[in-house]
Amino acid sequence: MEAEDTQQGIRSRADLLTAIVLVALGIAVVYLSWIMPRLEARRISPGTFPGLVPLLLGLALTVCGSLLGFKAARDRQPGGWSGLLGLLGTRAALRIGAIMALALFYTLVLVGWLPFWAASMIFIFAFIMLFEVYLTDSPAPLLRTAVWAAVIAVVAGGGIYLAFARIFLVRLP
Amino acid sequence: MFEGLILLGQGLAHFMTLGSLFNVAWATLLGVVVGILPGLTATMGVALLVTLTYKMAPDQAILTLMCVYLGAIYGGSRTAILLNIPGTPANAAATLDGHPLAQQGRAGLAMGLATTSSTLGTMVGIFFLAVIAPLLADAALKFGSYEFFWLALFGVVISGQMTGSDSPLKGYIAGILGLLVAMIGMETLHAYQRFTFGVTALGGGIDLIPAMVGAFGLAEILSAMKRRAITHIASVDDRVVPTFREIFQYWRTILRSGIIGTFVGIIPGVGEDVGSWTSYAAAKRASKHPEEFGKGSQEGLIAAETGDNAVVSAAMIPTLTLGLPGSAAAAVLIAAMLIHGIRPGPMLMVENAPFLYQVVAMLLLATLANLIFGLTLTKVFIQVLRVPRERLMAVVYVLCVVGSFSISQRMFDVYVMLIFGVVGFILREMKYPMAPLVLGIVLGDLLDLNLRRGLALTSGDPSPFFTRPISAVIALIILATILMSIPAVSRRVRALRFRRQTA
Repeated sequence: MEAEDTQQGIRSRADLLTAIVLVALGIAVVYLSWIMPRLEARRISPGTFPGLVPLLLGLALTVCGSLLGFKAARDRQPGGWSGLLGLLGTRAALRIGAIMALALFYTLVLVGWLPFWAASMIFIFAFIMLFEVYLTDSPAPLLRTAVWAAVIAVVAGGGIYLAFARIFLVRLP
Repeated sequence: MFEGLILLGQGLAHFMTLGSLFNVAWATLLGVVVGILPGLTATMGVALLVTLTYKMAPDQAILTLMCVYLGAIYGGSRTAILLNIPGTPANAAATLDGHPLAQQGRAGLAMGLATTSSTLGTMVGIFFLAVIAPLLADAALKFGSYEFFWLALFGVVISGQMTGSDSPLKGYIAGILGLLVAMIGMETLHAYQRFTFGVTALGGGIDLIPAMVGAFGLAEILSAMKRRAITHIASVDDRVVPTFREIFQYWRTILRSGIIGTFVGIIPGVGEDVGSWTSYAAAKRASKHPEEFGKGSQEGLIAAETGDNAVVSAAMIPTLTLGLPGSAAAAVLIAAMLIHGIRPGPMLMVENAPFLYQVVAMLLLATLANLIFGLTLTKVFIQVLRVPRERLMAVVYVLCVVGSFSISQRMFDVYVMLIFGVVGFILREMKYPMAPLVLGIVLGDLLDLNLRRGLALTSGDPSPFFTRPISAVIALIILATILMSIPAVSRRVRALRFRRQTA
């Protein structure tokens, strides 16, 4: 029951933060839509100016964001902020951070610098090694995992290249 | 009536070639594998596969994607039964009775029942697709800008209302965010570039495929890899093929679930998971043995699996006739159809009537392939379940990069995929549904264009939006939907109804 309350507290604080972002986004959209040209020179009907729909959507987002924030602010379960901050130090957060770092390195650095098949093989190998040997509670033997990871990297990286570029004639990055 | 049957016959004959049947076989098998693997959803499978179909003929491309879609929804039931984890969100209700059946040593029977009821669910949906779609397309020809504006808004609102598990408010926010994404780029009425901030690549707007690959691919990878999954696969020692009696003693449940699934499928953006849960709840209410539900009820499993598969076929009704995606995967199918020069919407029946019946034929072939594979390849599918996520997700990410790059051959789309993946993951973690977001991206242009075109026709007078009969009805439904999502209003309505019943 206590754990449930803490979860609810964390959710409420997260909702409050999101609500602030959404209201800010909504107001920014309203402003940017309002200053969009009315195109009077083209003699268009004022009701059809390009900013009309974004303006309405910005208003709707501001209202919905405010309602979400109001609801979240009323919920005063204990341990919300500390729980929310604590999430950043969990194993799950570390695993997600690792995936993001790997994905960014593969997408922004390896792809384009190396041939696609080679970049993919390195990424797949590193991914499997990281999650089967290091970021896990029950690590697999290093050598056996390395052999498996290398085999999967070669088969999958090569297979994707062959299937897409050679058989289905799709251009790869 | 007879013209429809002839067109359906022609549609079936069209695919009776070795090449088409080969595509049906491999795509359905791939779809089933995607569905079986936890963390890979039907929408993700279809979005990733669009890349492979670029060079195919349009009919073969859509056939392939349809087979993957149907195969994945069916395949997810295997995981639900054997692992107690839904393979796709559509199979969540199937875990309630599927896994208890497996624990009782009847995993084979559970899989057989799931396979057969999936087939029957698709058949019910196909029947209604063939009957309703031409009528709806005919009616939609009379729709103008006013009606299409409300329909687009209706799609986003109803999807937000029905898929917002935490609260409808989050569903609405997801829908508005999707609509805002669609506002980026050159608008179609006056060719003005909105929210591009001088970035040339944004001029054409955000493509749906990279956005979907991010929101359903990378976001799924992050969700699945958040923590290590420990799985216990139930053993399969009994027979897989059910007897005629085991299935048809529940014919009422099958028919009811099929009709509920069809109804849910017709509602834009409300996917298979809602169809499955609604069918399950209705079956429990009507059952002679509701106490068995959740403890291994065959009726419960049949209801869940009939309901979600009926949605797949029925989702094609608004998709093909109105251009409004019936589910998130149907949104990807719309994008794929546009890539291949097929324009879904009211004009489809005028421009390309045989295509609608070809879709019916595609669904028939895919469901037959599901039935054959499902009853014969049980042991192979169990092996697929043993693939560790750590090895699979790396390959899936590479496919995400390929899938998002290939549509326009530009790295910008890969960055879009990355952004949508991260934002999609955060939104998911905070219980924002993805379906309204996707629907917003698809329907944003339709909504924007038709509102302003309607206003241009009347020199800024909005009254036709409220005075034309169909427009007024849809507007009232939207208003009622929004009002009912306000707790104070819904409480009062419920109290009024209760008072009237007790009086």
